[in-house]
Amino acid sequence: MRSLGTTVKLPVFTVVPDLLPVLCQVKMLCVRGLQRLKAAFYLPRTTTHRSLTSAEILPKDDAVSKALVEHYVTGIRLLKVENPSRQSKKGCVLCNVTVDFKNIQLLSQFVSPHTGRIYGRHITGLCGRKQKEISKAIKKAHSVGFMPVTHKYPEFMKDPRICSIKHLD
Amino acid sequence: MPRYELALILKAMQRPETAAAVRRTVENLMERGAVVRGLENMGERLLPYKMTKHNQRHSRGTYFLVDFYCAPSILGDLLNHLHRDVDVEDVTI
Repeated sequence: MRSLGTTVKLPVFTVVPDLLPVLCQVKMLCVRGLQRLKAAFYLPRTTTHRSLTSAEILPKDDAVSKALVEHYVTGIRLLKVENPSRQSKKGCVLCNVTVDFKNIQLLSQFVSPHTGRIYGRHITGLCGRKQKEISKAIKKAHSVGFMPVTHKYPEFMKDPRICSIKHLD
Repeated sequence: MPRYELALILKAMQRPETAAAVRRTVENLMERGAVVRGLENMGERLLPYKMTKHNQRHSRGTYFLVDFYCAPSILGDLLNHLHRDVDVEDVTI
Protein backbone atom coordinates (compact mmCIF):
# COMPACT_ATOMS: atom_id res chain seq x y z
CA MET A 1 0.00 0.00 0.00
CA ARG A 2 1.38 3.35 -0.93
CA SER A 3 2.10 5.56 2.09
CA LEU A 4 0.15 8.77 2.09
CA GLY A 5 2.27 11.75 2.90
CA THR A 6 4.78 12.36 5.61
CA THR A 7 4.29 13.19 9.23
CA VAL A 8 5.19 16.69 10.21
CA LYS A 9 8.38 16.91 12.22
CA LEU A 10 8.51 19.49 14.99
CA PRO A 11 10.94 22.30 14.22
CA VAL A 12 14.38 22.35 15.86
CA PHE A 13 15.21 25.82 17.10
CA THR A 14 18.71 27.05 16.25
CA VAL A 15 21.26 27.71 18.96
CA VAL A 16 22.36 31.29 19.71
CA PRO A 17 25.68 31.86 17.92
CA ASP A 18 28.87 31.22 19.85
CA LEU A 19 30.24 34.65 19.00
CA LEU A 20 27.84 36.22 21.47
CA PRO A 21 30.13 36.67 24.50
CA VAL A 22 33.11 37.93 22.45
CA LEU A 23 31.18 40.51 20.47
CA CYS A 24 29.36 41.59 23.59
CA GLN A 25 32.60 42.24 25.41
CA VAL A 26 34.17 44.20 22.59
CA LYS A 27 31.10 46.33 22.19
CA MET A 28 30.87 46.86 25.91
CA LEU A 29 34.51 47.96 26.06
CA CYS A 30 33.92 50.59 23.41
CA VAL A 31 30.73 51.80 25.00
CA ARG A 32 32.24 51.89 28.46
CA GLY A 33 35.27 53.74 27.23
CA LEU A 34 33.16 56.41 25.60
CA GLN A 35 30.92 56.63 28.64
CA ARG A 36 33.91 57.20 30.90
CA LEU A 37 35.26 59.90 28.65
CA LYS A 38 31.87 61.57 28.48
CA ALA A 39 31.57 61.50 32.27
CA ALA A 40 35.00 63.01 32.57
CA PHE A 41 34.12 65.83 30.18
CA TYR A 42 30.95 66.76 32.01
CA LEU A 43 32.58 67.07 35.43
CA PRO A 44 32.45 70.63 36.66
CA ARG A 45 35.78 72.34 36.57
CA THR A 46 36.38 73.17 40.19
CA THR A 47 39.50 75.18 40.35
CA THR A 48 38.85 75.95 43.99
CA HIS A 49 39.18 72.35 45.06
CA ARG A 50 42.68 71.44 45.77
CA SER A 51 42.74 67.71 45.64
CA LEU A 52 44.92 65.39 43.78
CA THR A 53 42.08 63.19 42.58
CA SER A 54 40.21 65.96 40.80
CA ALA A 55 43.37 66.97 39.01
CA GLU A 56 43.72 63.44 37.70
CA ILE A 57 40.11 63.15 36.62
CA LEU A 58 39.92 66.50 34.86
CA PRO A 59 40.61 65.91 31.22
CA LYS A 60 43.18 67.77 29.28
CA ASP A 61 42.04 69.21 25.98
CA ASP A 62 44.92 67.86 24.09
CA ALA A 63 45.42 65.78 21.03
CA VAL A 64 45.70 62.52 22.97
CA SER A 65 42.26 62.64 24.54
CA LYS A 66 40.72 63.83 21.30
CA ALA A 67 42.30 60.94 19.49
CA LEU A 68 40.93 58.55 22.08
CA VAL A 69 37.42 59.87 21.63
CA GLU A 70 37.75 59.59 17.88
CA HIS A 71 39.00 56.05 18.25
CA TYR A 72 36.09 54.92 20.37
CA VAL A 73 33.51 56.62 18.19
CA THR A 74 34.82 55.05 15.00
CA GLY A 75 35.10 51.74 16.81
CA ILE A 76 31.42 51.77 17.59
CA ARG A 77 30.56 52.86 14.06
CA LEU A 78 32.64 50.10 12.48
CA LEU A 79 31.28 47.36 14.72
CA LYS A 80 27.97 46.95 12.94
CA VAL A 81 26.88 43.78 14.62
CA GLU A 82 23.41 42.47 14.85
CA ASN A 83 21.84 42.84 18.26
CA PRO A 84 22.74 39.52 19.93
CA SER A 85 19.62 39.47 22.04
CA ARG A 86 17.33 39.70 19.01
CA GLN A 87 15.12 36.65 18.54
CA SER A 88 14.67 35.22 15.06
CA LYS A 89 11.16 35.21 13.65
CA LYS A 90 9.21 32.13 14.61
CA GLY A 91 6.91 30.68 12.00
CA CYS A 92 4.10 28.22 12.58
CA VAL A 93 4.69 24.49 12.31
CA LEU A 94 3.66 24.28 8.67
CA CYS A 95 5.46 27.33 7.38
CA ASN A 96 7.44 25.49 4.69
CA VAL A 97 5.11 22.57 4.14
CA THR A 98 2.64 22.43 1.25
CA VAL A 99 -0.79 21.28 2.33
CA ASP A 100 -2.55 18.74 0.09
CA PHE A 101 -5.93 17.05 0.46
CA LYS A 102 -4.33 13.71 -0.45
CA ASN A 103 -1.96 13.88 2.52
CA ILE A 104 -4.48 12.61 5.03
CA GLN A 105 -1.92 11.65 7.62
CA LEU A 106 -0.88 15.27 7.96
CA LEU A 107 -4.48 16.43 7.98
CA SER A 108 -5.43 13.88 10.63
CA GLN A 109 -2.98 15.46 13.04
CA PHE A 110 -5.23 18.52 13.26
CA VAL A 111 -8.40 16.59 13.88
CA SER A 112 -9.82 15.29 17.14
CA PRO A 113 -9.37 11.53 17.57
CA HIS A 114 -12.69 11.18 19.38
CA THR A 115 -15.06 13.19 17.24
CA GLY A 116 -13.08 13.93 14.08
CA ARG A 117 -13.67 17.66 14.45
CA ILE A 118 -11.14 20.16 13.14
CA TYR A 119 -9.22 21.95 15.88
CA GLY A 120 -9.32 25.72 16.12
CA ARG A 121 -6.42 28.12 15.72
CA HIS A 122 -5.91 28.50 19.46
CA ILE A 123 -5.23 24.77 19.68
CA THR A 124 -3.26 24.08 16.53
CA GLY A 125 -1.09 27.20 16.80
CA LEU A 126 -0.99 27.70 13.04
CA CYS A 127 -0.86 31.04 11.29
CA GLY A 128 -3.98 32.31 9.51
CA ARG A 129 -3.03 31.19 6.05
CA LYS A 130 -2.07 27.63 6.98
CA GLN A 131 -5.08 27.12 9.23
CA LYS A 132 -7.36 28.05 6.34
CA GLU A 133 -5.50 25.75 3.96
CA ILE A 134 -5.71 22.84 6.39
CA SER A 135 -9.37 23.43 7.01
CA LYS A 136 -10.16 23.54 3.30
CA ALA A 137 -8.07 20.46 2.59
CA ILE A 138 -9.79 18.48 5.36
CA LYS A 139 -13.22 19.39 4.04
CA LYS A 140 -12.17 18.44 0.52
CA ALA A 141 -10.79 15.12 1.72
CA HIS A 142 -14.13 14.46 3.45
CA SER A 143 -16.09 15.05 0.28
CA VAL A 144 -13.77 13.01 -1.94
CA GLY A 145 -13.93 10.06 0.44
CA PHE A 146 -10.31 9.99 1.56
CA MET A 147 -10.73 10.98 5.16
CA PRO A 148 -13.38 9.98 7.67
CA VAL A 149 -15.64 12.71 8.98
CA THR A 150 -16.70 11.59 12.42
CA HIS A 151 -13.53 9.85 13.51
CA LYS A 152 -9.84 9.48 12.75
CA TYR A 153 -8.21 6.48 11.10
CA PRO A 154 -6.84 4.29 13.95
CA GLU A 155 -3.42 3.93 12.33
CA PHE A 156 -2.91 7.68 12.68
CA MET A 157 -3.63 7.76 16.40
CA LYS A 158 0.02 7.25 17.27
CA ASP A 159 1.27 10.26 15.33
CA PRO A 160 3.23 12.98 17.16
CA ARG A 161 0.99 15.55 18.80
CA ILE A 162 1.18 18.99 17.27
CA CYS A 163 -1.94 20.43 18.79
CA SER A 164 -1.75 21.58 22.36
CA ILE A 165 -4.74 19.72 23.67
CA LYS A 166 -4.85 17.36 26.60
CA HIS A 167 -6.87 14.23 26.16
CA LEU A 168 -8.32 12.42 29.12
CA ASP A 169 -6.90 9.06 28.06
CA MET B 1 -6.39 22.48 -21.63
CA PRO B 2 -6.73 22.68 -17.89
CA ARG B 3 -5.43 19.93 -15.66
CA TYR B 4 -7.78 17.74 -13.63
CA GLU B 5 -7.46 15.03 -11.04
CA LEU B 6 -10.00 12.29 -10.83
CA ALA B 7 -10.36 10.58 -7.46
CA LEU B 8 -11.88 7.24 -8.30
CA ILE B 9 -13.11 4.76 -5.73
CA LEU B 10 -13.88 1.33 -7.09
CA LYS B 11 -15.62 -1.58 -5.49
CA ALA B 12 -13.38 -4.06 -3.65
CA MET B 13 -12.95 -6.71 -6.33
CA GLN B 14 -10.42 -9.23 -7.48
CA ARG B 15 -7.36 -7.97 -9.31
CA PRO B 16 -8.38 -8.74 -12.92
CA GLU B 17 -11.78 -7.17 -12.40
CA THR B 18 -10.29 -4.04 -10.88
CA ALA B 19 -7.83 -3.85 -13.75
CA ALA B 20 -10.67 -4.15 -16.23
CA ALA B 21 -12.63 -1.40 -14.52
CA VAL B 22 -9.63 0.96 -14.51
CA ARG B 23 -8.94 0.17 -18.14
CA ARG B 24 -12.55 0.90 -18.99
CA THR B 25 -12.44 4.25 -17.20
CA VAL B 26 -9.22 5.36 -18.81
CA GLU B 27 -10.38 4.33 -22.26
CA ASN B 28 -13.53 6.30 -21.65
CA LEU B 29 -11.44 9.34 -20.84
CA MET B 30 -9.27 8.95 -23.89
CA GLU B 31 -12.27 8.48 -26.16
CA ARG B 32 -13.53 11.89 -25.11
CA GLY B 33 -10.23 13.45 -26.01
CA ALA B 34 -8.55 13.64 -22.62
CA VAL B 35 -4.81 13.22 -22.32
CA VAL B 36 -4.02 11.02 -19.35
CA ARG B 37 -0.88 12.10 -17.55
CA GLY B 38 -0.67 9.44 -14.92
CA LEU B 39 -2.51 6.95 -12.82
CA GLU B 40 -1.83 6.30 -9.14
CA ASN B 41 -3.04 3.37 -7.14
CA MET B 42 -3.59 4.22 -3.51
CA GLY B 43 -4.44 0.69 -2.54
CA GLU B 44 -7.44 -1.03 -1.11
CA ARG B 45 -8.58 0.36 2.20
CA LEU B 46 -11.46 0.55 4.55
CA LEU B 47 -13.65 3.40 3.43
CA PRO B 48 -13.95 6.38 5.79
CA TYR B 49 -17.71 5.97 5.78
CA LYS B 50 -20.07 3.39 4.37
CA MET B 51 -21.32 4.26 0.93
CA THR B 52 -24.54 3.11 -0.64
CA LYS B 53 -24.29 2.95 -4.40
CA HIS B 54 -26.31 1.02 -6.94
CA ASN B 55 -28.31 -0.59 -4.17
CA GLN B 56 -25.20 -2.02 -2.52
CA ARG B 57 -23.58 -1.05 0.72
CA HIS B 58 -19.78 -0.76 0.53
CA SER B 59 -17.24 -0.75 3.33
CA ARG B 60 -14.01 -1.40 1.46
CA GLY B 61 -12.76 0.12 -1.75
CA THR B 62 -9.82 0.55 -4.05
CA TYR B 63 -8.59 4.11 -4.50
CA PHE B 64 -7.20 5.44 -7.75
CA LEU B 65 -6.05 8.89 -8.74
CA VAL B 66 -6.01 9.82 -12.41
CA ASP B 67 -4.23 12.96 -13.60
CA PHE B 68 -5.43 14.18 -16.94
CA TYR B 69 -5.87 17.16 -19.21
CA CYS B 70 -9.17 17.67 -20.92
CA ALA B 71 -11.56 20.30 -22.20
CA PRO B 72 -14.06 21.45 -19.57
CA SER B 73 -17.02 20.70 -21.82
CA ILE B 74 -16.67 16.93 -21.56
CA LEU B 75 -16.55 16.83 -17.77
CA GLY B 76 -20.30 16.79 -17.17
CA ASP B 77 -20.85 13.97 -19.59
CA LEU B 78 -17.92 12.05 -18.16
CA LEU B 79 -19.19 12.32 -14.58
CA ASN B 80 -22.61 11.18 -15.67
CA HIS B 81 -21.16 8.14 -17.34
CA LEU B 82 -18.97 7.24 -14.37
CA HIS B 83 -21.81 7.52 -11.90
CA ARG B 84 -23.77 5.00 -13.94
CA ASP B 85 -20.93 2.49 -13.89
CA VAL B 86 -21.75 -0.29 -11.44
CA ASP B 87 -18.23 -0.96 -10.30
CA VAL B 88 -17.51 2.62 -9.46
CA GLU B 89 -18.45 3.72 -5.98
CA ASP B 90 -17.47 7.35 -5.84
CA VAL B 91 -16.05 9.86 -8.29
CA THR B 92 -14.74 13.34 -7.66
CA ILE B 93 -12.90 15.63 -10.06
